[in-house]
Amino acid sequence: MNLIHPTAIVSSKAKLGTNVSIGPFSIIQDDVEIGDNTSIASHSVIYNGARIGSDCKIFQGVSIAHIPQVSGIKDVQSQAVIGNRVTIHEFVTIHKASKEQGQTRVGSNVLLMAYAHLGHDSSIGDNCIIANAVQIAGHVHIDDWAIIGGSTPVHQFCFVGKHCMIGGGFRVVKDVPPYVLAGEEPLRFNGLNSVGLKRRGFSSEQLENLKHIYKLIYDSGMNVTQAKEAIKEKYSSDPLAKDVTEFIEKSKRGIIPR
Amino acid sequence: MVEIHSTAIVSTEARLGVNVKVGPMAIIKDDVEIGDNSIIGSKSVVYDGARIGSNVTILNSASIAHIPQDKKFHGEYSLCIVEPGSIIYDFVTLHRGTEASGKTVIGKNVVIMHYSHVAHDCYINDNVFIDNCVQIGGHVEVGTGSLLESYTQIHQFCKLGKFVTLITGCKATMDVPPFIICSDKPLKYKGLSEELLRKSGYDENQIKTLNSIYNILYNSGLNISQAKEKIKDSLGENELASEVLDFINASSRGIISK
Repeated sequence: MNLIHPTAIVSSKAKLGTNVSIGPFSIIQDDVEIGDNTSIASHSVIYNGARIGSDCKIFQGVSIAHIPQVSGIKDVQSQAVIGNRVTIHEFVTIHKASKEQGQTRVGSNVLLMAYAHLGHDSSIGDNCIIANAVQIAGHVHIDDWAIIGGSTPVHQFCFVGKHCMIGGGFRVVKDVPPYVLAGEEPLRFNGLNSVGLKRRGFSSEQLENLKHIYKLIYDSGMNVTQAKEAIKEKYSSDPLAKDVTEFIEKSKRGIIPR
Repeated sequence: MVEIHSTAIVSTEARLGVNVKVGPMAIIKDDVEIGDNSIIGSKSVVYDGARIGSNVTILNSASIAHIPQDKKFHGEYSLCIVEPGSIIYDFVTLHRGTEASGKTVIGKNVVIMHYSHVAHDCYINDNVFIDNCVQIGGHVEVGTGSLLESYTQIHQFCKLGKFVTLITGCKATMDVPPFIICSDKPLKYKGLSEELLRKSGYDENQIKTLNSIYNILYNSGLNISQAKEKIKDSLGENELASEVLDFINASSRGIISK
C-alpha cells in the first residue's frame, strides 16, 4: 500500500513500487520510477527522468532529476538514477544528465548529507558518504566507498578513486587516486586511508603493498608515467596495483601532487 | 490567538503558545512545543522533539529537529531546543540529539543565517551569530557571543570558547580558546576579538589583560604547559586568566596553534 499525502501532487503516469510513501507538498512528475519501500518526505520534487531504487529515504526539500545547470540548455530526455538504500538529507539537489539518454548516477548504500549537490552526468559509486554542502560539479566520477568531507567543492571532470577520503573544506581540482587520504590547499596526497581500509577488511599485507606503490608515485623522484611503469613491472599480479595504474591511465586532469 | 495558514499542516498534539503564526505549507509534527509569539515561516518543517521558545522567528523552508545524520542514531527519543528570541533564516537545518547527550541546544537570541547547519548534540550558547552556509558538525559547543562568519566549518567534537570570531571560509578542527579571532587553513590564532569584546562591555583593562595572556600563550615561544604556568605566575588570581586556563585544561582535542 502506498501512502500518499493528500497535499502531494503525484502524476498518474509515475511508476511507484509498493509501500512507497510521499509526504505533504511533494511533487512527483510523469516520467518517474520509485522502488519499493522508498519514502519521500515533505516539499521534495522528483522531476521527469528520475529513477529511484528501493528502500531509499529522501527527506525534506530534495530536488531530483532537475534540469542541469548548463547555460543555454533545453529540457533533455535524460535520467538521474539512484540506487537502493540511499539516504538523501534535506535540500540536496541532483541534476539529470545534459545529453539525450545520458545518466547522472548514484550507487547503492550512499549517504548524501544536507545541501549536497550532484551535477549533471556525474556518478557516485556504492557505499559513498558525501557530507554536508559538498558541491559536485558536472561529469565528476566518484568511485565506491569514497568519503568526501563537508563543504568540499569538486571541480568538473574530476575523478575520485575508490576508498578515498577527502578532508572537509578543501578543493578537489585534480584526480584523487584510489585508497588515499587527500587534504590541504591545494589538495595533496596525505598518505593511505589506512583506517578506512582496515575497517573494510584489507589485510596489513595489502596495506603494505599499497604503501610501497604510493611511495613509487610520490616519493621516488620519478614522474607519474615512470612510476606507473615501475608499478606495473614490480606488482604485475597485484589487483590493487592494477586499480592504481588503471586510474592513472584514465586520469585526464592529472593526479593530485604530494 | 494562534494564526495558522489554511495550507499548513499542524498536528493537534503540538502545543502552541499564544500568538504563534504558522505560514503556508509549513508542517508541525506531534511532539512539538512552540512558545508565545513565535513565527514559523512557509514550507518550514518542525519535526518531533522540537522545543521552540517564545519570540523565535523561523523563516522559510527551515528544518527543525530532523533526525541526525549519524550512524549511531537508532531512532531514540531526543530533543532540539531553540531558546527564546532566536532567529532562524531560510533553509537552515537543525538536527536533534542522539543518545550521547539527548539534545541539541540553540541558546537565547542566536541568529542562524541561510543554509547553515547545526548537527546533532551541538550546544550553541546565547547571542551567537552564525552567518550563511556555516556547517557545524556533531557534538560541537560554541561559546556565548561568538561570531561564525560565512562558509566556516566546525569539525565534530570541537569546542569554541566565548567571543570567538571565525573569519569567512575557515575551518576549525581543534578547540578554539575564548576571546580570540582566527582564520586560515589550518586555523590559526590572529589576535583578540576586540570588536566583539568592546561591544559586549569588556573594558580596555580587561582587553589588555587578555592581550598579555594570549601573548604568553602564542608569542612567547613556550609550549602550552609552560605557557599555562607563566600565565598563572604573572597574572595570579585573575578571572579572565582562569577562564582561558580552564578552557585549555578542559580541551580534549587540543587548542589551535599560531
